Amino acid sequence: MRRFIRRNAAGYFFLSPWLLGFGLLALGPILASLYLSFTRYDMVSAPVWDGLGNYHYMLEYDRRFWKALEVTFTFVALSVPLRLAMALGVAMLLDKGLRTIGLYRAIFYLPSLLGASIAIALLWREMFGIDGVVNQVLAVFGIEGKGWITDPDTSLYTIVVLAMWQFGSPMLIFLAGLRGIPRDLYEAAEIDGTSKWRQFWRITLPMLAPVVFFNLVLQTIEAFKTFTSAFIISNGTGAPADSLLFYTVYLFNEAFKFFRMGYASALAWVLLIIIAAFTALAFATSKYWVHYENERD
Amino acid sequence: MLYPLIWLFASSLKPENEIFGSLDLWPSKVDWSNYTEGWNALPVSFTVFYKNSAIVTVLSVIGNLLSCSFAAYAFARLKFNGRTFLFALMMMTMMLPYHVVLIPQYVLFLNLGWVDTYLPLIVPRFLAADGFFIFLMVQFFRQIPRELDEAAMIDGCSPFKIYWAIILPLSLPAMGTAAIFSLIWVWEDFLAPLIYLNDINSYTVPLALRLFVDQEGQSAFGQMFAMSVLSLVPVLIFFVAFQKLIIRGIATSGMK
Amino acid sequence: MRITRRHLLASIGGASALAALPGLPAFAQERTIRHFWWGNPTRDKNTFAVIDLFQKAHPDIKVSGETIGWGDYWTKMATQTAGGNMADVIQMAHTFIHEYVGRGAIKPLDEYVGNGISLDHYDDGANEVGTIDGQLYGINIGSTTQAIPYNIKAFEDAGVTADLLGWTTEDFADACAKITEASGGAMRGSEDLSLYIENLEVWVRSTGRDLYAPDGGLEMTEEDVRSYWEFWGGLRDDGIVEGKDATVILDKGMAELGITRGTTAMTFRYANQVGAVQSLMTDPVGAAMVPQRPGTSNGHYVLPSMFLCLTRDAKDIDAAAAYIDYWISNPDALKALGIDRGIPPSQLGRDAIAPTLSEVDQNVVAFFGGIQDKVGPVPNATPKGAGEVRDAFMRTGTEVVLGNMPADEAAGRFIQDAEAILIRANR
Repeated sequence: MRRFIRRNAAGYFFLSPWLLGFGLLALGPILASLYLSFTRYDMVSAPVWDGLGNYHYMLEYDRRFWKALEVTFTFVALSVPLRLAMALGVAMLLDKGLRTIGLYRAIFYLPSLLGASIAIALLWREMFGIDGVVNQVLAVFGIEGKGWITDPDTSLYTIVVLAMWQFGSPMLIFLAGLRGIPRDLYEAAEIDGTSKWRQFWRITLPMLAPVVFFNLVLQTIEAFKTFTSAFIISNGTGAPADSLLFYTVYLFNEAFKFFRMGYASALAWVLLIIIAAFTALAFATSKYWVHYENERD
Repeated sequence: MLYPLIWLFASSLKPENEIFGSLDLWPSKVDWSNYTEGWNALPVSFTVFYKNSAIVTVLSVIGNLLSCSFAAYAFARLKFNGRTFLFALMMMTMMLPYHVVLIPQYVLFLNLGWVDTYLPLIVPRFLAADGFFIFLMVQFFRQIPRELDEAAMIDGCSPFKIYWAIILPLSLPAMGTAAIFSLIWVWEDFLAPLIYLNDINSYTVPLALRLFVDQEGQSAFGQMFAMSVLSLVPVLIFFVAFQKLIIRGIATSGMK
Repeated sequence: MRITRRHLLASIGGASALAALPGLPAFAQERTIRHFWWGNPTRDKNTFAVIDLFQKAHPDIKVSGETIGWGDYWTKMATQTAGGNMADVIQMAHTFIHEYVGRGAIKPLDEYVGNGISLDHYDDGANEVGTIDGQLYGINIGSTTQAIPYNIKAFEDAGVTADLLGWTTEDFADACAKITEASGGAMRGSEDLSLYIENLEVWVRSTGRDLYAPDGGLEMTEEDVRSYWEFWGGLRDDGIVEGKDATVILDKGMAELGITRGTTAMTFRYANQVGAVQSLMTDPVGAAMVPQRPGTSNGHYVLPSMFLCLTRDAKDIDAAAAYIDYWISNPDALKALGIDRGIPPSQLGRDAIAPTLSEVDQNVVAFFGGIQDKVGPVPNATPKGAGEVRDAFMRTGTEVVLGNMPADEAAGRFIQDAEAILIRANR
């Protein structure tokens, strides 16, 4: 027993704020939402037990649930790689070339600052509208534009572009990671005459793997949960023709617009299972490509 | 890249009836009145909103950095029973859409008597509620060579000493990143203040910005844009100041 | 270190947390009520002015004014309702009142009418829509009706001379053609209103039916919806209303309307919103009736743009009733509130605001007076799920506007969806 305490004391001491927060503030609400997912709950009257009713309806009858999944999966598949590539590219530029100029970093981060504002929604519709700046630029190249954001076939891509444009946070994390790579590794490679391209594959990527892993996992989680941009740009409706019906937009509307918090909770737990599966997959494969400094356990 | 920002700034200089009616990017006549009038256009002055935001943000950032680095140190460096399981639980808290825990959490805070105070906004941050920062720090802590801990351990350093004297100073880029994100996200946080603050005198800046626009009625877009531009200023200053930490951290740490 | 942290927290949060605890001796004598509304800068200033006036008259009652914009209001309202922490007095919209009343979140006011709350000065029938199942749940704090805001200058330039308080859909189409032609296509006659169920409502009602039946089912028919979408499809094909790209953006804010952007001369709004349209434009704006098909009439009705309600969670009901009464009856309060929430539903209120009216407000008041003999009865109660039916209407209609589905097929699909929605919402 004493050995148990001695072995664990330090760990639990440092974990105590989190344990306290998790136990007191997070666990209860999480379990409550799990319970509510088995009920019909309109937020005014008491919840009514409904067994698997919500899950059954979702999988069997709810066309919009499948539509929301389709929209969200498409978005995740496109936006996560593009955004990470963009963020890594710019971070490497900033790390190498523009190291001393803080202002540049600020400029690249600025779009991310505007993330959730109403102004962005107005602006995005303005830019990708039929008379918008995007079409004016395309016209210069002789391409006839269209209402990108109002055509259900292309509207999702405008949100992907928005996600790429707001690459500030993964970029900053990449940058912090790049700064942690010892310079002498590159110097040695230079002396050996290794090309820049090989340096990237042999040094940068392996050394950066823990940060790449972090960004991949977190960006995937966030992409699955994308809410604000789609919500404000579609005025909360997922329009046109449900092409912007992101999973959490649908979930929010079910809960707060249509008074079906029980159903929304079921939707949330299904999403949690999906995200958890992807995250578990990422962790499982990570041992083949993410190596930590002197990791032995 | 910057077109949207220019648009936002230009719009803040336009009179109300020109913002959407005219296609010109730049106003016909530059007019700063949206700034001067916008500051006091709401029943409570923006001086109060900024003060409120500052209190919430500063405390939250401190809370996040302390509590999350504690937890991250435990997950990254210490061995204890149940570590993998607890780490998985921590990851899970990030996966559940916030909207479905909103109501149970509201009921919880209501029973604690915390609604209409800043406690629901601040206390969770001292209790490492944001897994993002824990995971971020874990990834960076794991990069620090273990020989350093082991040498310190042999010298008789306590785990706390190792955390404080070795891990933290060697993680300045990570801590700087976390500080920047934490500040920006708390500063811009909208949903929690919306739900937990009732009295307009306690509103934060993002909440106040929402008071300008009514989809259904009279709005003051020009003033909203002007105040939005101003609300970016403190964040930018902080960003420029703190990103030096990311850049300089390594140079001064003596780490190879 | 941890002591400091706790100390900090206590000093920041502790004081306000204590103040929020009910029943502490120091505050026991003070009566407090909370009033929650959705607002905008003008409305918030006006409403806080009324709160100040009220507190001067009733120093023993403290009123906490709480406000946020329309979209966020309902999220917060739902959360507070779920937590059992609704404000004592809240503002309600006709689109939501049945959802809240039907679930028991709002208290009936009948026992306080004439007993704390005086409604004697109200117009006859002004509180009909707020009376649900024979009990008064929502007090009308501003009357309104459906309207077509129009650009007066564009109408003059195009030489449109139709009687705007009695025109038909044919006159409307004619006006759209003239305006489009006069502007060389730069300005279309109107927004495409295909996706506005509020406008469909006038279309359906002018034949004597409502959107919803008294039993909560549908009263509109597939034929109503098909003919409505085909009418607008015709105008779209003629190029005299806005194209599909502007139409499929749903729930547009004021700043995105064709009329405020100058791309159309007309749109659909409620009469009380015409002033807000004007504030975003330079050309003068007037209000016209919604055009009705030849041979039909009375599609319009007078409805409250907003209600004042007493909630299930109200504790000091006498104080809340005193506040409500002051709000709706005191001439100073009425004057301070102005016309922002709609036209006061009493002569007392209209007299109070008369000296303060702007030109556009005067137009709205004149419009409202002019249609009084042309409105129909109030519609059947809106069932739970109506909000979702509205979304389904816009969604299915979008397919028609985009040309992906013919109007008849879409109408059939919408009616089917709507029936399923109502069953699910009311089981």
